[in-house]
Amino acid sequence: MLEARSPLGVAARFERPGVVLEEAADFTLTQVAGETGTLRKLLGKIPGKVGVAQEHDGRTIFKTGVKQLWIVGEAPAAADGVFVTPLSSSRTRIALSGGRARDVLAASVSIDFHEKHFKPGQFVMTGIHHTPVLIHSVGEQSFHIYAMRTFALAVWEWLSDAAEGL
Amino acid sequence: MTGFRRIESGGRVDRTLPLAFTYNGKALNGFAGDSLASALLANGQITIGRSFKYHRPRGFLSAGLEEPNGLFTLGSGAMTVPNAIGTVTELREALAARSQNAWPSPDFDVMAVNSWASPLFTAGFYYKTFMGPLQKSWMFYEPFIRRAAGLGRATEEKGNQRYDQRNTFCDILVIGSGPAGLAAGVVAAQAGARVIIAEQDFEAGGSLLCMNIGALETWRADCVARIAKCSNARLVTRATVQGLYDGKQAVMSIVDPATGNVRLEVIRFAAVINAVGAFERPLVFPNNDRPGVMLAGALRTYLNRFAIAPKQRAVIVTNNDSAYQAAFDLAEANVAVTIAEHRSSSSGELLAKAAQLGIAIFPNSGVADVLGHPAITAVRLGGRHAVTIECDALGVSGGWNPVVHLTSHGGIKPNYEPRIASFVPGGFAEGHFGAGSVLGHFGTLATIRDGVKAAQQALTYLDLNDGEEIEFPAIRADRAYGIQAAWTPVEGAESGKAFVDFQNDVTLKDVKQAHQEGYSNVEHLKRYTTLGMGTDQGKTSNVNALAIMAGLRGIDVANAGTTTFRPPFSPMTIGAIAGRSIGKHFRPTRRSPLHDWNEKNGATFIEAGPWLRAWYFAWAGSSPETAYIKEMELVRRGVGIADVSTLGKIDVQGPDAAEFLNRVYVNGFAKLPIGKARYGVMLNDDGVVLDDGTTSRISETQFYMTTTTAQAGEVMSWLEYLLQCHWRDLDVHVASLTDEWGGMAVSGKKSREALQLAFPDADVSNETLSYMGVKDVSFGGTTVRLMRLSFSGELAYEVHCPANYVQSLWEHIMRAAEPLGIKPYGLEALASLRIEKGHVAGLELDHRNTLDDLGLGKMAAKEKPYIGKELRFREAYQAPDRWSLVGLELLEPEKKLRGGSILFAASDEIKGHGRGYITSVTWSTELQKFIALGLYQGGLKHEGEEIVAAFPLKNEQARLKIVSPHFVDREGARLHA
Repeated sequence: MLEARSPLGVAARFERPGVVLEEAADFTLTQVAGETGTLRKLLGKIPGKVGVAQEHDGRTIFKTGVKQLWIVGEAPAAADGVFVTPLSSSRTRIALSGGRARDVLAASVSIDFHEKHFKPGQFVMTGIHHTPVLIHSVGEQSFHIYAMRTFALAVWEWLSDAAEGL
Repeated sequence: MTGFRRIESGGRVDRTLPLAFTYNGKALNGFAGDSLASALLANGQITIGRSFKYHRPRGFLSAGLEEPNGLFTLGSGAMTVPNAIGTVTELREALAARSQNAWPSPDFDVMAVNSWASPLFTAGFYYKTFMGPLQKSWMFYEPFIRRAAGLGRATEEKGNQRYDQRNTFCDILVIGSGPAGLAAGVVAAQAGARVIIAEQDFEAGGSLLCMNIGALETWRADCVARIAKCSNARLVTRATVQGLYDGKQAVMSIVDPATGNVRLEVIRFAAVINAVGAFERPLVFPNNDRPGVMLAGALRTYLNRFAIAPKQRAVIVTNNDSAYQAAFDLAEANVAVTIAEHRSSSSGELLAKAAQLGIAIFPNSGVADVLGHPAITAVRLGGRHAVTIECDALGVSGGWNPVVHLTSHGGIKPNYEPRIASFVPGGFAEGHFGAGSVLGHFGTLATIRDGVKAAQQALTYLDLNDGEEIEFPAIRADRAYGIQAAWTPVEGAESGKAFVDFQNDVTLKDVKQAHQEGYSNVEHLKRYTTLGMGTDQGKTSNVNALAIMAGLRGIDVANAGTTTFRPPFSPMTIGAIAGRSIGKHFRPTRRSPLHDWNEKNGATFIEAGPWLRAWYFAWAGSSPETAYIKEMELVRRGVGIADVSTLGKIDVQGPDAAEFLNRVYVNGFAKLPIGKARYGVMLNDDGVVLDDGTTSRISETQFYMTTTTAQAGEVMSWLEYLLQCHWRDLDVHVASLTDEWGGMAVSGKKSREALQLAFPDADVSNETLSYMGVKDVSFGGTTVRLMRLSFSGELAYEVHCPANYVQSLWEHIMRAAEPLGIKPYGLEALASLRIEKGHVAGLELDHRNTLDDLGLGKMAAKEKPYIGKELRFREAYQAPDRWSLVGLELLEPEKKLRGGSILFAASDEIKGHGRGYITSVTWSTELQKFIALGLYQGGLKHEGEEIVAAFPLKNEQARLKIVSPHFVDREGARLHA
């Protein structure tokens, strides 16, 4: 068997008071695209707007564009009118948590991460350190950052350096 | 007799917390709550620097951010901070401060000789003196001038300071925490709005801190406490709003008191309340720069806030009522005070109070001269009362200038307001509100009322709860301001230097000279005299200068205009602007999924765009010049493996995918069989080559496209643009796989054997996987894509798989093919092998060349349409003398060829842009000579001709022969082996 390797090395973890960064590896990410009706038929229900993830049937579904979804969880079967692209290797998932996690985000992204404006379940597609990321709020103080694999180490180093400066 | 003393009680300093610091290496003491300026004054340091041009002794003019003289270098070595403003630098334990622009000391400065030569240094001195005799003379003089004049010097040592940056959001940003700002902050905070109150000082209160009025201190402390109780509000001290920008954005710098580090916050607000206050301005009279001459408000601040008073006597000169309060406070601290009053009289209440405190007043009088050296010892009055008065300090008040800088950042010109003889903001942008003395309202109660009103307006604007009224302090009603403008010295003034701009040593005479020489527009005045430049940006000088120039021109001040204020509002270190984007964080580094393996196995890396790519490996040598040749030989004679994960990779799928590719590429893709790859070239809509690569057909409806590393992003955007804007009828979906898939090239005559060893269950024979064949195999639990492609010209394969497994797959192939002597090769060899083969790459695909320029015209389909087809045939693109691709062989073996060399015909004079240039160069292991690809006028029509390559930077020339760009295996036998 070929062994999966992470761009962050083995069991990457960074900790400072109020901040923990670690890799949340082992996830299946699939991009599906197609007409809304077709996608709904395939997945049961789908989010109507960008910004709020939907969780059902063991999947987290993000609307990432016009007629386009990201699914974290079991990949859907191929179907007529649906374009399926596996992307599990393309993103490295960084878990950021802790009482000062939002401060780390504020040092990295020009989006309002105040708890009243960025609640669990919400996500944003934005940039960290000039690279595209999807940031998903998975708890009051917990976030998943989907970074491009080839930039993941640069993003990790940027975030850990931001945490050093809090 | 100049001197100041620390009063034993009072003020806001904490006498129980003494702080030790050094000044020019001398150990001194101050208290917590002191500024560097107040601590120096308390230690008798009156002369603290020398002026910019004349090296005249200088002392503190102010007690705030507007300070033009009191600049210091803090720290040492890598932690050196130049041009720190002493009046706003919070004293801290072990602070080390040094004076600037004075050697050996401010008290005895060798360069003070400049003052003797001052007639030479008039306005426009540099322009008149140092621009000749030659055109480049200024370049010669400049270093000497900068050494003689100037401010602090930045360190070049690398320090460990941190400059963090943060994005902050709020409903209402209140700039300033004086009475207006505090009132606005309390109202907005208590209404539930997200509020940031920014205060540049290390204590909140603004002008309230310099008053010694119990009721106001109680009110101030109560406001601060109320704000602190609101979790939705944040009062930030040591925080200067450096700029206000369009889109409701502000930039604020915050100083860490312990380390001096500066953090930058970019604030997005929904509304802003501008409560930045006003600066007192000096009066212009001879020798007004003597140490001990201060703004009257500064004398009051040093007294009431820092408990520092002139030793015995002070003179106050004023043209308005505000300075009387300074006089009264000084008198109550047992300082003998005399007032020189420009006006004929002041209010009865003031006169009565002055009489009660024993203060002598000389109406219709001003300062004719300031005596003493280096610091003030006496003042000679002019006007009606020509008397000389001994004193320790002179307090000056020429009126107050609202701080119009921040509104000006948004492009709003200030308006002249005759009522206050100064400028006020010319308006406010939507969602911007003003409060307090920035509006020209100078009474404390009036500014509090303004703050409440502005907060209520902002809350209404944001549709938030109405703010509630707050309690006002129980103080007497505001006094009238009563200003009578005074721009020039009084009658009888001496002829000494009367400074308008202290920091740039610009005098009244300089302004007059600028006017005489035609530089009378304020913008010209600024450039000609340097007035308003420097770290203080004319905070104390601009209005006086404008008014003087208006007088000289015989126009109203209102018509003289102002120069443009730009961010930052106060001096900032460059580090704060750069933030964390330095060193490895300057830009993100992109790493291949094989990066770790390459790193652990002797790769030397090279930056290629954002990528870090393996350049060459240690097994082949320790320098690129020798290593890449060994690596090339490995591929030509055995088998090598190279990381090609950086190639752009795009998933193209859908019922119309084949039609889509057929339109995008110049050659046909509609009939590409499943399991086959094809080399394709695409043009942009100008008919110029955009990119090339191979695209494989995986199924009837799915293709796997590869692009060059450099153009991956651009091609992806181009495809999306075409689908979304031009061909919405095509049922095609594209997705980037550049990060999803990684790959390696296994190249060389033994490459098939290598794959057979690595994938014993897969048939990779020539019959089943012929040249340009593609095959997906299942291996180790994942899909592995085998593509028989060759960049090197040898028998070769690309092996791709999902990036998570690429390293594991690479290690497997390395182990399996070890008996064949497989080794890794890097980018240098990869790029050199393709030159031998004559493949074009990024250096040739530079968005300037056509298909025909690159010798690829014949591959374009004649019948079908494709992007760029029409414009490809424009007359200029078909001109016979276009620079076109040629191969080049070096004819002089002892010489070296260099990329970028300019090509000339043998008979040409070596001059100008030549007839072309070398795009790519390498040593050929096959031909044992330097070879190159290049673009040459007329291209291969000149095949066989001898030409010259010139490299002017090294003054080198070499003779070359034009040959076919395909140096090895022209028949393609190796590819098809």
